[in-house]
Amino acid sequence: MAYSEKVVDHFNNPRNMGSFKKDEEGVGTGMVGAPECGDVMKLQIKVQNDTIVDAKFKTFGCGSAIASSSLATEWLKGKTIEEAQQIKNTDIVQELNLPPVKIHCSVLAEDAIKAALADYQKKADGALADAK
Amino acid sequence: MDHQHRHSSSPRELQMARSMCWHCQSEVSGEYFCDRCVKVQPVSKELDYFTCMGFPRRLTIDPRQLESKFYELSRAFHPDFFQNKSAEEQTISLGNSAMLNTAYRTLRDPIQRAEYLLDLEAGAVKDIRTSPPADLFEEILELQDTLDEYRAADRASDTAATLCAKLQMERTTLERRQQDMENALQQLFTQWDILQDRGEATDQTRAERDRILKHMRDILSNRTYVKNIVNDLVATIS
Repeated sequence: MAYSEKVVDHFNNPRNMGSFKKDEEGVGTGMVGAPECGDVMKLQIKVQNDTIVDAKFKTFGCGSAIASSSLATEWLKGKTIEEAQQIKNTDIVQELNLPPVKIHCSVLAEDAIKAALADYQKKADGALADAK
Repeated sequence: MDHQHRHSSSPRELQMARSMCWHCQSEVSGEYFCDRCVKVQPVSKELDYFTCMGFPRRLTIDPRQLESKFYELSRAFHPDFFQNKSAEEQTISLGNSAMLNTAYRTLRDPIQRAEYLLDLEAGAVKDIRTSPPADLFEEILELQDTLDEYRAADRASDTAATLCAKLQMERTTLERRQQDMENALQQLFTQWDILQDRGEATDQTRAERDRILKHMRDILSNRTYVKNIVNDLVATIS
């Protein structure tokens, strides 16, 4: 199976690879895995005033998984929390031309986004409760 | 014979085929062949692989017993023996053989067998997909970074030597962990079989079954994650 040009590009030049400190203010961390294939994905967002100002990822998996998470971080930057919630795995499939056998990689990326957003929300709610 | 049977493929009719011979309509008491007209009977697609091979839903299966059952049924269903029979019988023999092969391949491997059992029993265990093991993921990603560093380092340098020693240690630790997981799985298999053999249906046994299945799901998933990183590790340092 040949990877699409876009997948190869993200694989060779991954955008936003790395990580933030988990307990840093405004950072949300999503850690997901696919037990079927053993891929592991960590996606983090940094939020200021309800807007995602930065995003980073680390992925252990196949080219499509790396490309999906790399693309996801690109898309997340500059989006509001609400806009970020709208990102669907099908958008990733379309953008990267993923074949059917690699759709689960895009699902993993969507799960990672959701997990990161949920983690950020949880932390923000906690901080709010502490302040009260 | 009438032509209706050529098109009988709806689930209802297939089910009927298990109790009534598709050919002579007499009741089938034998497992795979009609007692009266000796025609081969289709194995229902809804039958699970354990039942198909005549084994209870246990996780310890004697491989020799499984193999001999496989050979026995292969001889009974093999399309070669149906070359001179009717088109219906040829189709049935082909379908049965295909199902038998998949069933045997699935049940032969202990891990695939357990995965299959989990699929079968998944309905009983709500929320069988538990939260991902965050610690393990952190470890894997960290190890991945070290592997990248090692790949980028000059092989003759001291840095490479230090990294290689570190990776060797990680490998030993992970391989020990793999062994621990295999042992834990083996124990769970035994526990499951004991419960199955008792065959009680109390709330307590149900809770116990769920606990075992869930634990099994977790270990099987973690096992895949660890296996992948170990493969990567071994390929890089050897």
